[in-house]
Amino acid sequence: MKKAILFGLLLAAFGAFGQEPEKVIDKINAKLATVKDYTVNAHIDADIPMIKIMPSKAKIYFKQKDKVKIESKGITILPKQGFTELNTFLSDKSKYTAIFGDSLKIRDVDTRLINIIPNSSSGEIVLAKIWVDQKNAVIMRSQVTTQTNGTVKTDFKYGSQLSYGLPSELKFEIDVKKFKMPKSVAADINKTSTDKKKTKSKPRTKGNITITLSDYDVNSGLSDSIFKEKKKNQQ
Amino acid sequence: MEQQTIIKVQNLSKKFGSFEAVKDVSFTVNKGDVFGFLGPNGAGKSTTIRCLLSLISPDSGTIELFDKSLQKNRSQILANIGSIIEKPDFYKYLSAQKNLEIFARISGATVSKKEILEMLDFVGLGDRAKHKVKGFSHGMKQRLGIAQTLLHKPELIILDEPTTGLDPQGIIEIRNLILRLKNEQNKTILLSSHQLSEIELIANRMVIINQGRSLVEGSVEELLNSEETVVRIEIDSVEAAIQFIQSKFNPQEISQISSKELEVLISKKRVPDLTKELVLAGFTIHAIEPKRKLEDYFIKTIQS
Amino acid sequence: MLFKNTYNEFIKIVSKPRSYLGLGALTLLIGIIIFAMKADGESMVSFVTASFEQTLSFNGKLVNGNLIAFIILQMLVVHIPLLIALVTGDLISGEAAMGTIRMLASKPISRTQIVLSKFIAGAIYTLVITLWLGILSLLVSHVVFGTGDLMVLNSDGLVILPEADILWRFGLAFCVAFLSLLTVATLSICLSAFAENSIGPIVATMAIIIIFTIIGSLDVSVFDSIKPYLFTTHMASWRSFFENPVPFGEIMNSIVILLTHIVLLVGITLFKFNRKDITS
Repeated sequence: MKKAILFGLLLAAFGAFGQEPEKVIDKINAKLATVKDYTVNAHIDADIPMIKIMPSKAKIYFKQKDKVKIESKGITILPKQGFTELNTFLSDKSKYTAIFGDSLKIRDVDTRLINIIPNSSSGEIVLAKIWVDQKNAVIMRSQVTTQTNGTVKTDFKYGSQLSYGLPSELKFEIDVKKFKMPKSVAADINKTSTDKKKTKSKPRTKGNITITLSDYDVNSGLSDSIFKEKKKNQQ
Repeated sequence: MEQQTIIKVQNLSKKFGSFEAVKDVSFTVNKGDVFGFLGPNGAGKSTTIRCLLSLISPDSGTIELFDKSLQKNRSQILANIGSIIEKPDFYKYLSAQKNLEIFARISGATVSKKEILEMLDFVGLGDRAKHKVKGFSHGMKQRLGIAQTLLHKPELIILDEPTTGLDPQGIIEIRNLILRLKNEQNKTILLSSHQLSEIELIANRMVIINQGRSLVEGSVEELLNSEETVVRIEIDSVEAAIQFIQSKFNPQEISQISSKELEVLISKKRVPDLTKELVLAGFTIHAIEPKRKLEDYFIKTIQS
Repeated sequence: MLFKNTYNEFIKIVSKPRSYLGLGALTLLIGIIIFAMKADGESMVSFVTASFEQTLSFNGKLVNGNLIAFIILQMLVVHIPLLIALVTGDLISGEAAMGTIRMLASKPISRTQIVLSKFIAGAIYTLVITLWLGILSLLVSHVVFGTGDLMVLNSDGLVILPEADILWRFGLAFCVAFLSLLTVATLSICLSAFAENSIGPIVATMAIIIIFTIIGSLDVSVFDSIKPYLFTTHMASWRSFFENPVPFGEIMNSIVILLTHIVLLVGITLFKFNRKDITS
């Protein structure tokens, strides 16, 4: 893995030309910095092996620089990382080195790959790749590899809030190789024959979570108190 | 006038494994009888009674009650019988009244709450109606048992050893109760017992059963008043008395029981003469007592 | 007569102290579980979600009334058969032990009606226990924990059921749980027809359940052919209502097998009791 990364980096280094990657990131950061806070309604559709959940609704609150609160009536499942981590990481340029990679057309939009290599090996993020729509200064796709969570690939779609750099849809692709079935809470001795067939089916290793975001309310001046309550449930 | 037959048992047999509990038992009970079902413990009385109540299905033989086959008219027949088998058992966790309500409900008749309370009064448990049976003495349970047999006003009452385990007072109470049922309500009663005295006191007809067989059946009166009777005489100078009786009356049997007592088997008609002659001959008689012939008979029968 | 004796049987059950043992034990157990979950439910749940939480975050009220009710049901369905058998295993043999069977069987009611009325009364008792379990677990846990989506851990993964989609599942689950408990009740009444004391059938019922459960959970191929026909295999089929989609085919199969057991056991009881010489 590490070798592959190095190889990739070398390639990326040689391929670098034109605008410096840091500049591109600056533009992205600048755009995001115009958003002081927002609230948005999320429609979450999770398709994850070993977890069956119906599409659910949540309300997401965000405030600079990394305050997030997810409010939902029922149970919702979201990727552990994805909303702010990358942006927070990108905002501190001293922590990484950015190197251009190949160009790629994503949904008919020309994008440029930027490899983000952390300067320290102690951080959570091992490697991040972002495909950037340079014209609009937004990330169209990201692929973040972390110490503990494996690789999360995210596709961004933009709509009305393109000017703020806020997406209208996020599609996460998550590694679920590490999922282990925990032992049941209660003795489940009676559950036998019928289950065998199911567990034999081929295990999937990728899960998708699609979040459709609508009704943004940007810069309405959210108070900090909103984020204080119910820390428990955000785990 | 021909008497109505209430119970007619013919050639009844029942085996439990290889044990023949009842062998070829036959007897007939007529309307209005207090019928004694006499036999030692283990003679097959209970098995026969259980057959009558369809608790046990016999291997062979026929049972007719009220001129109907028990097998074919079970419910109809049982609705007209009240019974206590062995000992009356009740739901201990229920009150006397609740117990009677339970049995009344499935007795085939409609019994009102008032009738139940009256019945409890009748057997002397009126003030115990609400008490749980758990705390009842054996005598009280027996009386409650009798109440239970009478609730639905059956024509036939079957009592299996109703006085077992009762104190003398209790025995007398039950005995009087049975006599009242016969005399006041004209019930037909089948009464089993291993005690002759009991049968003798209240039954008019009886059958003696031993080792699963019915040995003799008939009127208690007839069996009691057979020609020969054993007379016990308490008398001075027993030896001389024996010689005197032998020479004068030539009895079938005569024996000395003790230094003051003798027993003589003699025709009942000759007992007054015997007494007279002894007195005239100068013997001093302290007591003269015809012994219960049936008891003798019973013991002899079951020994033979 | 059947109705009258069923009423009688019901009075007997209602008046027996042991009948309340089941309800009392149930109430106590549910109380204990709710107390424990109130004190430590979060960590118990995070034990389940732990392996997912490296990559996923669970938002919302995971510990809620629905989850607690489900946990209670799952924990207690294993133990309730004992509480049921305690009463139903005594229905025929208890009368034999007490001697009242003589009185009962010499009344103008057929043996078949005696047996059927005991079954009906036993079924009503089972229903009461099931309803008590349902009402207590759902009601109390909703009062204590509030409502919410239900996260169920099946052997093939987590299923998260929306709040609005749960009540009918509980309803049907209780129906099927009732059917499995009724099978237990029927079994113990059947055994009760063979015994003259009340402990025997109760112990025998539990022994059969334990043995069948062990056979059912042993992963040995020799038993594979009989496993689908053991009633214990189907005693947990109420749980299938919390799968998504609900495997109605499997549940129907379980219902048919449980009903077959009930019919067979009632048949055996009738056959035995009708031929029984009452000598006690």
